[in-house]
Amino acid sequence: MTIPSPHGIIETLALVDTIMRTRYSFVLLLLGLLAVGTEAVTLRVTNPEGQPINPAMVTRTPLVVPEVDTSDNGYPPHGVSNQAAVATTAFTDAGGSVTIDDTATASSIRIRAQGYVDAHIQVPLDQQDIAVVLQPMTPAQKVASYPSNVWLSQLHFGGDAELKKTFQLNCAFCHQQASPFMRNERTVDQWVSVMERMNSYGARLPEPDHKPIAELLQRELRELREHPGQVPEPRPWDAQLAQVEYTEWPLGDGFSQMHDFLLHPNGYVYVGDNLFDRIYEVDPETGAYTVYKVPHHEGARVGGILGNRFTVFPKMDNYMGVHSFAYSKKDGAIFITPSMQQALLEFDPVTKAFTIHDMPRGYYPHTIRTDDQDRVWFTLALSNQVAMFDRGTRAFTVYDLPARSIREWLILKALPLLFWLDPETRPQPSPDRDGTGLPMPYGIDVAPDGRVWVARLYANDLAVIDPKTDTVSMVDFPYEGPRRLRADADGNLWIVAFQDSLLVKYNPNSATYTDYPLPVVNEIPYALNVDRERGMVWVNGNQSDTLLSFEIESRQWQVYPMPRQRFFTRDVEISEADGAVYTSNSHFPTWQSEGGTPTLLRITPRRD
Amino acid sequence: MRCSLALQRCRLALALVLALHPAMAAGQDQDWGFYGGDAGGRHYSTQAQINRQNVADLDVAWVFRSGDAARFGAELANTSAQSTPILLPEAAGASLVYCTPYNRVIALDPGTGKQRWDFDPGIDRDGERPFRCRGVSYAEEPSAPAASHCRHRLYMATHDRRLWAIDARDGRPCAGFGDQGRIALHGSVDTPAGEVSNSSAPVIANGVIVVGSSIIDFARATTPRGTVQAFASRDGRLLWQFDPLQGQAHSGSANVWAPMSADAKHGLVFLPTSAPSPDYYGVDRPGANPSANSVVALELATGKLRWQFQHVRHDLWDYDTPAQPILFDWTRDGTPVPALAQLTKQGFVFVLNRLTGESLWEITEQPVPPSQIPGEITAPTQPKPIAPPPLLDGFLMPADAWGLTPLDRADCRRQLSNLHNLGLFTPISETLTLMYPGSLGGANWGGGALLGDSGILLVNVNNIAFTGKLIRETASAIPQGSHPAAGQRMRVSMQGTPYAVEIGSLQSFLGLPCNPPPWGKLVAVDLYGGTIAWETALGSVHEMGPVTAPFQIEWGTPNLGGGIATAGGLFFIGATMDRQIRAFDVNTGNTLWQHTLPNDATATPMTYRYQGRQYVVINAGGHTMFNRGQGDYLYAFALPE
Repeated sequence: MTIPSPHGIIETLALVDTIMRTRYSFVLLLLGLLAVGTEAVTLRVTNPEGQPINPAMVTRTPLVVPEVDTSDNGYPPHGVSNQAAVATTAFTDAGGSVTIDDTATASSIRIRAQGYVDAHIQVPLDQQDIAVVLQPMTPAQKVASYPSNVWLSQLHFGGDAELKKTFQLNCAFCHQQASPFMRNERTVDQWVSVMERMNSYGARLPEPDHKPIAELLQRELRELREHPGQVPEPRPWDAQLAQVEYTEWPLGDGFSQMHDFLLHPNGYVYVGDNLFDRIYEVDPETGAYTVYKVPHHEGARVGGILGNRFTVFPKMDNYMGVHSFAYSKKDGAIFITPSMQQALLEFDPVTKAFTIHDMPRGYYPHTIRTDDQDRVWFTLALSNQVAMFDRGTRAFTVYDLPARSIREWLILKALPLLFWLDPETRPQPSPDRDGTGLPMPYGIDVAPDGRVWVARLYANDLAVIDPKTDTVSMVDFPYEGPRRLRADADGNLWIVAFQDSLLVKYNPNSATYTDYPLPVVNEIPYALNVDRERGMVWVNGNQSDTLLSFEIESRQWQVYPMPRQRFFTRDVEISEADGAVYTSNSHFPTWQSEGGTPTLLRITPRRD
Repeated sequence: MRCSLALQRCRLALALVLALHPAMAAGQDQDWGFYGGDAGGRHYSTQAQINRQNVADLDVAWVFRSGDAARFGAELANTSAQSTPILLPEAAGASLVYCTPYNRVIALDPGTGKQRWDFDPGIDRDGERPFRCRGVSYAEEPSAPAASHCRHRLYMATHDRRLWAIDARDGRPCAGFGDQGRIALHGSVDTPAGEVSNSSAPVIANGVIVVGSSIIDFARATTPRGTVQAFASRDGRLLWQFDPLQGQAHSGSANVWAPMSADAKHGLVFLPTSAPSPDYYGVDRPGANPSANSVVALELATGKLRWQFQHVRHDLWDYDTPAQPILFDWTRDGTPVPALAQLTKQGFVFVLNRLTGESLWEITEQPVPPSQIPGEITAPTQPKPIAPPPLLDGFLMPADAWGLTPLDRADCRRQLSNLHNLGLFTPISETLTLMYPGSLGGANWGGGALLGDSGILLVNVNNIAFTGKLIRETASAIPQGSHPAAGQRMRVSMQGTPYAVEIGSLQSFLGLPCNPPPWGKLVAVDLYGGTIAWETALGSVHEMGPVTAPFQIEWGTPNLGGGIATAGGLFFIGATMDRQIRAFDVNTGNTLWQHTLPNDATATPMTYRYQGRQYVVINAGGHTMFNRGQGDYLYAFALPE
């Protein structure tokens, strides 16, 4: 039996008083028990009735943030190492308890649970056991706390399902579509203004759809605001979350966009800042990271050959546009698609040297993979092509994918002429719902048999390239929005159907599709990866603040809530060694995410 | 009523019918006894003699000139005529009383405009700060014997920081109040002339006078504190003081320059606080600066903080709380809630429970971009009500550039392409940054007018984009007359910081704004529905070019001063840069009447019924910020007898 320490009680009450006096903090009832050591503290989270909350998310963030050398235009200089302010997250068990290991390092601990108001405590702690009582949210607070996907699920666009898909396809690939930022009442004109602005940034929402969508958004969001009971509750967090822990590495700042990344066999994670032409080499063991600036040719312009669509942004330093990563299984060389140039980047993780391989043609190098023959494959999203870089000959082979119509063929053939024009005076596209002129080869992967599979986002089909025969075949995709895909160990293709909110399996042997509804409503999945070793598919959530896993054999889903709101993920990497998964918060703009800074996130089995 | 149109319009029409129906209209048939019409600043009158059907016949009833033009000549260029008269009750002499920019109080016969008395406090006119006086306040002092001198009192805070109490019947100081009728206010000693001054009328309720201040808050890092003071109305005893910065070091101001409101029944006074100093650089005042840029509710009797609602955290945009909190009963879903509507420069309308400060609309925390200034830690989010919608769209992209000709439009597009611009709350940086809305607003001190119990709030809005940047230097001068509202660029050193700040309007080489018109507008907001019912351009630009056009061009103009709503279904407003006073139909926003004045009427009008005749009165003296000439006119309008 332990006896309460008067000192602990006094400090606890002082802490309660402090928290009570802050606007967004709520009652914590802390029972200070005798301090008998500083190695570990048990945090027990209950509701006001004393019932344990399982799971509650317990996120610890250091209060003392390591100083970062930002002497290069506000960012770390090339080759300089810094230390990330690493945050960790664990979940309470069935008894509502979680262990805090280090009780001495000054930190802030946020306790969050669905339907409850966040509570915060600070480390150091001098009690062995701490009880945290979370206060229930008011109905208004509760519905406001719901993630984007459940709100979005109740926008029916007047029953026009195709219009909703058009909206999701063209508006949901940068940021959440029913976050508080979007749910604010706007006039129709204000909505139209938003759409015109987004199209100037690169969205492709057809102009004839602007006004109808503006009117529907205004009407249906207002309806939900006035009748919030129509909004379903988000999926409850799984009790098994107590078995995992998260680690987060904040990188860059609110203007960065951490797009794709790579878990390299050397143990480092390479994260690309798409807007600042930088690669962050992160050591997950220590939290140290080194930044390498991607070079560009002399005379290159901001925005590259695409032109700068973000001229009004305060900061922008992307001449290349770091997009997607892959490494050579032969020597570990890293290959990166610079989406704003006709080039392929190579980075030597040993010498830290970059090489720019200029390409003769093709526009918008996009997703990239390597094969067992040490060939580098990547999609060319704008020019409807797939490129292969042979490391032996240092030559590119470009595969033209078929146009869907003569008009599309003409548009694609006109691209060199369009790109010859100055970006300032280049005619801007006038997109239609089919994305005519932009079939957009997007995701790519190499199957175990060596064939290369490609998803075309707007064309709703798959391309397969057989390197042995050098042939290209097309396969219809009976769903909408094939964005990224991956092959599993059996050669099946796993594909996300973006605006259809589905995970889809394609068996090339039987030419059959199987679809699997996602475990959260109205998610708009961006990407996925397959853990071939363990038979798991990991799916990126971007509207529901979740990462999803699907066990292929059992067809069981697991849902992992993200530690920050408005957590938009585009890539997943899996550690072959332990099955840990990595993703990054790539919400654009980043400053709309909770915390305002992009992070690299790892989910691992809890070590204790 | 057939609601065959959209439900929204139907609801609005029904609300207006209820609001304007004499038997259903809220409040008593009262005359304009307060600066804002009533203690809650609703800018509403139940008078309906002048109405939609006859307003076209409205004509000048009388004109009064204060004599300031003859007396001060060119000095008048440094004044702004912002005063709204009040009508005293019969027992207090039934005079129409107002103040001039130099704080002279004048009492007029409400029916003829003839002067009954005046009181000149003889203020210190040193310093370059423009002179203005928005109004005086009246109260009956129950501790004074009936019919005695100063039983009925007027209170006024002056430019040189004195609080005066004078008799409402003869204008002579109240000897028993302070030092022979006056009190030295906070900031009246040891500060350069004009650094701390006054603009709005004090508020009085439950025997307590509460006084704010006007402080120059962008030129120095640490300016005087914006301390609010409360005095006993009987003798001027200091009762309490409140520093909105609440201990925040290395800063100042957060003063209360906009009109306050009081709720006598609940014993509360509501303070619209401004930004902490310096406006555009917050490195030395880290954190949210919580009582600045807020509505602060204090207990009238003690000054104890009851609640505060901060609408801008860690302000870097000069988004002072600019307007009088509007007190009304929120009757949505049949349950009345004592409410408060707060208009802001950034164009939001916050509706709060005035007893608790809780928002009656969901507040969404809007993530906002970080600063690029070393050491500047911006708030990660800013509050935004989920409804009503913003009064203006805070985005302006190069494609939105406006111009009269292709050439000036191209010039504007080029400028916009080179600006830092992430929309509302983009922090100012060392590169030219879009500030939209700029410090002029959105809404400003003219506030809004609440149409009876309808929940319809009518508000005049500025719609001019500014640009600004921080400059690494410390020595810089303020060019005379340089104000963005007049199309000039203002450059001010922020002493005590590494920077000077330059602010100006975003305009083409032709001097025309780069954002599309209207550059001023009138917006009808449905507070209950959370929607915008209608909006229309406010003002004509025909006098703003190098030569005056022979016809009006209704593209809207920047505007200062407010409007008033009446049970006659009308909304009266001057405020514009075209010397007009207008009457709008509250249902449609159509202009039903207008009259050309000798100067811009940058003041809020008022209305009253006197000896059976309804008058509409407005101060027409111009505004130094507009740089369009000054005068000393007070105009009264009425229907022909």
